[in-house]
Amino acid sequence: MQAAEQSVKTACWSCGSALTAGQPFCEVCGKVQAPGSCVTYFDVFGLPCKLVLDVSALERAFYKLSRKLHPDLYAQATMQEQQWSLEQTSLLNDAYRTLKDPVRRTEYLLRLEGVEIERDKSSGDEKKDSRVPADLLEEVFELNMQLEEMRMSQKMGEDDRQLRSDLEKAKAQFEGQLADFDAQLQSLWGEWDAALDADGSLAKEDAKNRMVALLDRRRYVRNLVRDVNEALEI
Amino acid sequence: MAYSDKVIDHYNNPRNVGQLDKSSQDVGTGLVGAPECGDVMRLQIKVNPETQVIEEAKFKTFGCGSAIASSSLATEWVKGKTVSEALEIKNTDIVKELALPPVKIHCSVLAEDAIRAAIGDWKKKNGVTETEKSAQTVA
Repeated sequence: MQAAEQSVKTACWSCGSALTAGQPFCEVCGKVQAPGSCVTYFDVFGLPCKLVLDVSALERAFYKLSRKLHPDLYAQATMQEQQWSLEQTSLLNDAYRTLKDPVRRTEYLLRLEGVEIERDKSSGDEKKDSRVPADLLEEVFELNMQLEEMRMSQKMGEDDRQLRSDLEKAKAQFEGQLADFDAQLQSLWGEWDAALDADGSLAKEDAKNRMVALLDRRRYVRNLVRDVNEALEI
Repeated sequence: MAYSDKVIDHYNNPRNVGQLDKSSQDVGTGLVGAPECGDVMRLQIKVNPETQVIEEAKFKTFGCGSAIASSSLATEWVKGKTVSEALEIKNTDIVKELALPPVKIHCSVLAEDAIRAAIGDWKKKNGVTETEKSAQTVA
């Protein structure tokens, strides 16, 4: 129901001109508008739901919109407009922060596509099969064992050199994997965008599923790198 | 959000932490993970080949208190049960016993998955027919 509303054109409250959903201002009279209830972060910038994105252009658009929407500019306007400028500004900030970051942008788009990420799964969920392949689980488990050993020996006031060098090696390897994931993610962005242009729902689904799998793996590895860093820095 | 006393008890005094010989014929190993939070859980069972009773269960979990408590409880519960009885354990039972809040339900799901994975591994090793298991998934 909400998705249908998204494409519906609305009218400016002030002059009655037609508006596209997500447009913060009326193009005709320049008045600030109420933020739509189902506006996406892509809509805020008037962008298509694509993943390959010119971040510096996004930044410029962000600053331009920020300057126009800033609540200070509405100090003399009606209460309603003041409220809207505040809401629009906060929406704009969220949208910018999310879209400029490659991983958050991808996760956001996947969420728009109905994928649940970093959420608890309800008990009755049938899709609870582990999406992480067994080989990665083994690696994660082994590394966690080493990390635990490292922490234990540190607690005893020892610094196990062999262990430290093993961990450093593992860390380098996982950092390499992270870089690898990011490269793969970028190429999946291209596939997603192309599928969107071609309106190929199968190709879209395929790119979507591969992005979900990739991000799952990435999250594991990212946490590992963080844990290894913590253990090594003590 | 506070942990329940039972979670804290299992966290402070985890039961059956450790490892069984993975290569042993009687041992089934389940290694599962939750990509959402990065938890990994290994649960192992040692099954009596005659009676199919789980005589020993060990776990090792890297994760939050609820994940540790869920797997600790899971090992307690499977011990002394037959393989098919152990398959009856539902994550909702774990949620109830530990009074897990909704955001921690996935920890109990992980523990149930670990039990199933361990039993699945044992069955595969011992060539046990999958009849019960497929009946389970149909039900």
